[in-house]
Amino acid sequence: MLELKNICTCFNKGTVDEMTLFDNFNFSANDGQFISIVGSNGSGKTTMLNLICGTMMPDSGQVIFDGTDITRMSEYRRAKDIGRVFQDPKMGTCSSLTVLENFALADNKNGRFGLTGAINRKRIDYYRELLSQCNMGLEDRLGVQVGALSGGQRQAIALVIAGMTDVKLLILDEHTAALDPKSSETIMQLTDQLVSRNNTTAIMVTHNLRFAVEYGDRLVMMHRGECVMDIAGEEKAKIVVDDIVDKFSEISIELGN
Amino acid sequence: MSFLGACEVFLKSGFIFSIIAMGYYVSYYILDFPDLTVEGTFLSGAVVFGLMCSHGINPWLGLLAAFAVGGACGTVTGVLHVRLHIRPLLCGILVSTVLITVNLVATAAGMTGDFTAQSSSVISYGRTVATLHDCFFGDLIPERVGGIALRDLLLFFVMAVVCKVLLDLYLKTKSGLLLRAAGNNEQYVRMLSKDPGKSKIIGLAIGNAYAAVAGALYTHISGNVNQSMGIGMIVIGLASLIIGTSLLRSVKFMKPTTKVIIGACIYQACLTVAQRLGVPSAYNKLIMAVIFTVALVLSGRLKKRGGAENA
Repeated sequence: MLELKNICTCFNKGTVDEMTLFDNFNFSANDGQFISIVGSNGSGKTTMLNLICGTMMPDSGQVIFDGTDITRMSEYRRAKDIGRVFQDPKMGTCSSLTVLENFALADNKNGRFGLTGAINRKRIDYYRELLSQCNMGLEDRLGVQVGALSGGQRQAIALVIAGMTDVKLLILDEHTAALDPKSSETIMQLTDQLVSRNNTTAIMVTHNLRFAVEYGDRLVMMHRGECVMDIAGEEKAKIVVDDIVDKFSEISIELGN
Repeated sequence: MSFLGACEVFLKSGFIFSIIAMGYYVSYYILDFPDLTVEGTFLSGAVVFGLMCSHGINPWLGLLAAFAVGGACGTVTGVLHVRLHIRPLLCGILVSTVLITVNLVATAAGMTGDFTAQSSSVISYGRTVATLHDCFFGDLIPERVGGIALRDLLLFFVMAVVCKVLLDLYLKTKSGLLLRAAGNNEQYVRMLSKDPGKSKIIGLAIGNAYAAVAGALYTHISGNVNQSMGIGMIVIGLASLIIGTSLLRSVKFMKPTTKVIIGACIYQACLTVAQRLGVPSAYNKLIMAVIFTVALVLSGRLKKRGGAENA
């Protein structure tokens, strides 16, 4: 359903700091896959997500989504089918709006934003039901400004909102990294429920190796703009954290540090 | 000037300028866009209104036309910023500079058909020709009561309230909520598969449409339009907005738009007090800026204290 073809990306082109990250990079994701991506800083994980979401355009190459070439499509148009949850909980919600207003906006995602009333009272029960799955008591706090909630609560809302908008592909950009261990566990479980319930294709970047091992059905390790490890199915089911750690140090030794 | 007379003066201008401040509530407070176009559009509104009145057209149509023209100017500023990626301050400077010429030529052309704008730069349509009170039930209200121009005062009060209610209603619609989201988190709007730029343009159009309406109402006091009318409107609008929203920060039950109207009246009251203390009118703009500075400093202080209370 998603294909990156011969992607080349270069930062600071034409300066002394020129750095080529992707040189003929290829990657594809199949329908319904839940892919975890791990890798050191600067290995190109976030850049890859940015290319998929349209935050960045590649210097050359193609991004194909569901058979359509979306390489030059703007970010907001892609968002119709591609949802994204960021590392920063502030990104996925509007802090100055109430929880209810955030939901009302998301609920109207593919509709017209005209001059009719924004909040449909009949939908409130549905929002409550969605929020009650988080087990954070958020269902009783619909009138609260999102800015007054904790990071974990905000991320839970961002996740529920990203899930309720019927996206075909869900991008999770280190979405548990800014949370405490307990909250990140909760968010991870919510993510898993959401992805398996809707059978959404998901790509998750994480630094938490345990999450990468426990969740998802495919694991990719990136290094310097290349996939150095890509396992799925049976093989993925057998892997343990230590295997990944070994692979990590192997790469580091190759580089001589 | 009696005490009541002084009240009349500051309330009248307070209500009129509160409409600019409501416009700034959208462009500056919600969208965080420091819009300098306002000085130009304030005058444009006045010119359009003045020309239509002097040609005997219904003044309410003139007001509507001023609203539309202001909206169009704001749209230009928005497009410059959103589509051509020019910085907010520069967009405002560019459009308001263009408007200096446009207003001058429109005035001359409208009055004498002279497109070189070498003749008249003043519109004087006189209050006898057209007043906004002629329509509806204006006649039922006595023109003056105890030396106060009650009809004018009521008119401006009603206009401020109408503008406030319309804005409140708009902000509750889907489009309005999306606008608030665009000011708060553009990424969220993008995630909804909507272009945040579009919301920004709408916001700037509203801000300038309101400024133009204020300009039109302002000329209604004297029946005159001159080319320097717009000067100082940015400070008046922003000061009213900031005074209203920061002084009444802790008042929860009041809508921000109401606070803005009160802020505008407070600001005008301060200016009136200064004048009554005998400060010459040439010092007006200086005092305006000084009061604004005080308001800015105070609002910073209040914000800090508010933060400490919340923590």
